[in-house]
Amino acid sequence: MKILVAVKQVATLDEDFEIRANGSDVEEDFLLYDLNEWDDFSLEEAMKIKESSDVEIEVVVVSIGPDRVDESLRKCLAKGADRAIRVWDDAIEGSDAIAIGRILAAVAQKEAPDMVFAGVQSSDQAYASTGISTAAYLDWPHAAVVADLQYKPGSGSAVIRRELEGGMLQEVEINCPAVLTIQLGINKPRYASLRGIKQAAAKPIEEVSLADVGLTGADVGADSSMSRVRRMYIPAKGRAQMIEGTIAEQAARLIQIINEFKGA
Amino acid sequence: MGIPDNADDLVKLAIKTGDVYIAAAVHKVAIGSDRKQLESLMFGKRRNALMLARWEHTPASVLQALSNSTDRAVVLRLDKNPNTPSQAMSNLYAEEEDGFKRSLSLTMLIAQHQHTPISILECIAKFDNDIESLIAVSRNPTVNADVLRVLMGRMATSHKFELFKKNVAANPSTTSDLLEEIYSESDAYTRAAVISHANCPRSLIEHAVNDDDVVVMRQLVVDKRLTKDVLARLVLSKDKAVRCSVASNLALTKMLIKQLVRDDSNAVRREIAARADLTAANIKCLMSDSDHWVRMWLARNPIVPRKVLERLSLDQHADVRRAVARNPRCPIGLLKILAKDENSWVRSAVAYQHKSPKRLMLGLAEDTDVDVLSGVANNPHTPQRILQKLTTSPEADIRRGVILNNKARRNTLLPLLEDPYYLHRLMLVDSSKLKEKDKWHLRNDPDFQVRFVVFKWFVNRLNKVIVQ
Repeated sequence: MKILVAVKQVATLDEDFEIRANGSDVEEDFLLYDLNEWDDFSLEEAMKIKESSDVEIEVVVVSIGPDRVDESLRKCLAKGADRAIRVWDDAIEGSDAIAIGRILAAVAQKEAPDMVFAGVQSSDQAYASTGISTAAYLDWPHAAVVADLQYKPGSGSAVIRRELEGGMLQEVEINCPAVLTIQLGINKPRYASLRGIKQAAAKPIEEVSLADVGLTGADVGADSSMSRVRRMYIPAKGRAQMIEGTIAEQAARLIQIINEFKGA
Repeated sequence: MGIPDNADDLVKLAIKTGDVYIAAAVHKVAIGSDRKQLESLMFGKRRNALMLARWEHTPASVLQALSNSTDRAVVLRLDKNPNTPSQAMSNLYAEEEDGFKRSLSLTMLIAQHQHTPISILECIAKFDNDIESLIAVSRNPTVNADVLRVLMGRMATSHKFELFKKNVAANPSTTSDLLEEIYSESDAYTRAAVISHANCPRSLIEHAVNDDDVVVMRQLVVDKRLTKDVLARLVLSKDKAVRCSVASNLALTKMLIKQLVRDDSNAVRREIAARADLTAANIKCLMSDSDHWVRMWLARNPIVPRKVLERLSLDQHADVRRAVARNPRCPIGLLKILAKDENSWVRSAVAYQHKSPKRLMLGLAEDTDVDVLSGVANNPHTPQRILQKLTTSPEADIRRGVILNNKARRNTLLPLLEDPYYLHRLMLVDSSKLKEKDKWHLRNDPDFQVRFVVFKWFVNRLNKVIVQ
C-alpha cells in the first residue's frame, strides 16, 4: 500500500523586492524558499493513515524542481515520509500547472500508489490546478478542498468532506485510487523530531529524469504549456489612504468608515 | 568538541561552520581578518545581505557593517530595520548626501527611525524641504523639544500644519510650553491629545474644564488634578465614555463611586468593579450586578473579602468562577473546590494560581485538558516527577509550561533539548538551570534560529567574563 504526496517548494517575499529585468518574475535574491503550507497538511494526512493502519504503508513524497528543492524534501523525510523523489530537467523550466500535472501523473504511473495527495494550492502561484490536472492525466477520480478524510487502506472508496462557500461541507464518497487536494486545517501538522531530522539528512533523495518517467523535453516546458506568464508587476495603488491624526481621531475615523460600510 | 573559552576560538569556529547566522551571532567580538572573513561569509551573496538587513534579530554590529553597502535594496531595509544602530543611521544619512541622488522616501525613513542621532534629526528639521520628512521627525519620539520648536517655525505655513500639531501633541518629548502654544487654535482631537500628554500643564487642565467637546472631556476626566466639583459634574455626563473614564479616575470620592456603582452603562460599572477603594456597600451592590463582566472584574479584585469570593465562586458564569481562582487573595479552601469545577477553564485558573499547594497540583495533574495541564506545568508547586512526566506530553503548550517553570530542575529540562518544536530549544538556551555544556549541545541544531541564539549566548557569556 502506498500514498504518493506531491509537494512544492514555494517562494515567499518580503515587502521590498525587485522584479527581474525581463519582467517575468521576482529577482531571485529576494525569494526565500520553504515547503508549501498546504503540503504540510497533505503529508500529515498521509502520515496519520500510515501510523493508524495495520497494514504496511509507504509514504512517498515527490517534488519537481532544481537541487534547492532537496531541502524541502528532507523536511518531509524528517517528518516520517519513507522515500523522496525529485524530478528535474532544465526543459521543465517554464512549465505551467497543467504540464507539472503531466509529470506528476507520469511519476504516479511508475510508482502505482493507492492514493495521491496534493495541497489545494501553492502559496506562491495559487493556480490550485496541479492536483486536479494530475488526476486528469491519470484519469482518476479527484476531489478538491478536502477538509476531512475517512479512508481505510485497501478500501475501494473513501468518504471525504469538502469545504464549500458559507461554511458548508459537502460529504462525498469517492472511488479509490483517487487524487485529493488537501485543505489547511484538516489536521495538526507535526514538527520533525531532531532524530528524524538527523536521519533524514542521511537518507537518499531519488533524482528522476524526464526519461525515467517516460517523458521527453517536448512534453514539458513553456512550449508545451497551455498558459505562459507574460509579465509580473505591481499594480498602481488603489483607493487606500492613510488615516492620519491623533489616536482618538484615527479611531473615530475608523468607526465612521465601518459605519458607512454597514450603512449605519 | 570542547566549549571555546575565548572569543578568538569562538569566532574561528564560527568561520569554520560557514553558517551565516552563526557568523552574525559572533560578529561583534571578531577583530581584524577574522571579522573580514565573517563579513565576506555574511555579505558575499546578495540574498544573505538582503536577509540580514531585514532580519529583526540581526545584531547591531552586523547592521553597522552593512551600512557601508551601496546596494539600494540593502539600504532601504536598513532604514526600515528598527535595530539599525545610531552610527549606522549616520552613515546611511551621509551616504544619502554624498553618494546617491537624494531619495525623499529614504530620508523620511531616517527621519522616523528611533536610532537616528538627534544631530541628524536636527539637520533634517532645519534644512530639509520635504514635508513628509519633516512630519516624520515630528512623530519621532526620540526628538527633543529644541528640534520640535525649529519645526514649529518652519511648518507654520504648511498645509500639513494641523497634522504636525497632532504629532507634536502626541510626542512624549514635547514640553509644556509647546503644548500650551498649540492648544488654543487646534481642533478637538489635538486639544484632547494635549490634555492627555504627561507634560500637560495645570493651566491647560483648568482651561479644558470649560471645554464642551466630548473628545476633550474623555481625556480630561482621567487627570488626577481635577477637583471634586469638576468630577461631580463629569459623572453626570451623557457620554458613557466620559463616565467610564471618570470611573477610573483615582481622585474619585466615595460619594461619586457610590453614584457610579449604579450607572446605566455596563462599561462604567466594570471600570468601578476593578477599583481598589470600594466600600463594603459598593461590593455588595456589584456582586449582584446583572452584567457578568462586572462580577468578573469584582472577582479579580484583590480587595474583595473572602465571603464575597465564596459567593462569586458559585456564580453561574464560568468566567466569574475563573476570576475568583485567579484572584491573588483567593483562599486555598476555595481553590480546592474550584479545582473540581466542571469547566476546564476554571480548573486551568487554579492550576496556574501560584497559591495552589502541591497536593492540589497532584490532583490536577490527572486532568486530561490541555489548558489545565499547561497550568500544572507552569506552577512552581508542581513536583518534579510530574513535571518530568509532562515533558513527554504530545502537546507543545504543556511542554512549554515546564520550560517556563522557574522551579523545573536541570534533569527535568534536559530531555526538552531534543524537543521537536524549535522555539522550545531556543528558550532553553536562556535557562539558568542548564549548564553550559547542555547549551553547547545545541550548537549544531538544525534550526538556524537556535544556532544563532546559542552562539549569541556564548558571546555574551564571554563578554561577561571579560567585564568581571
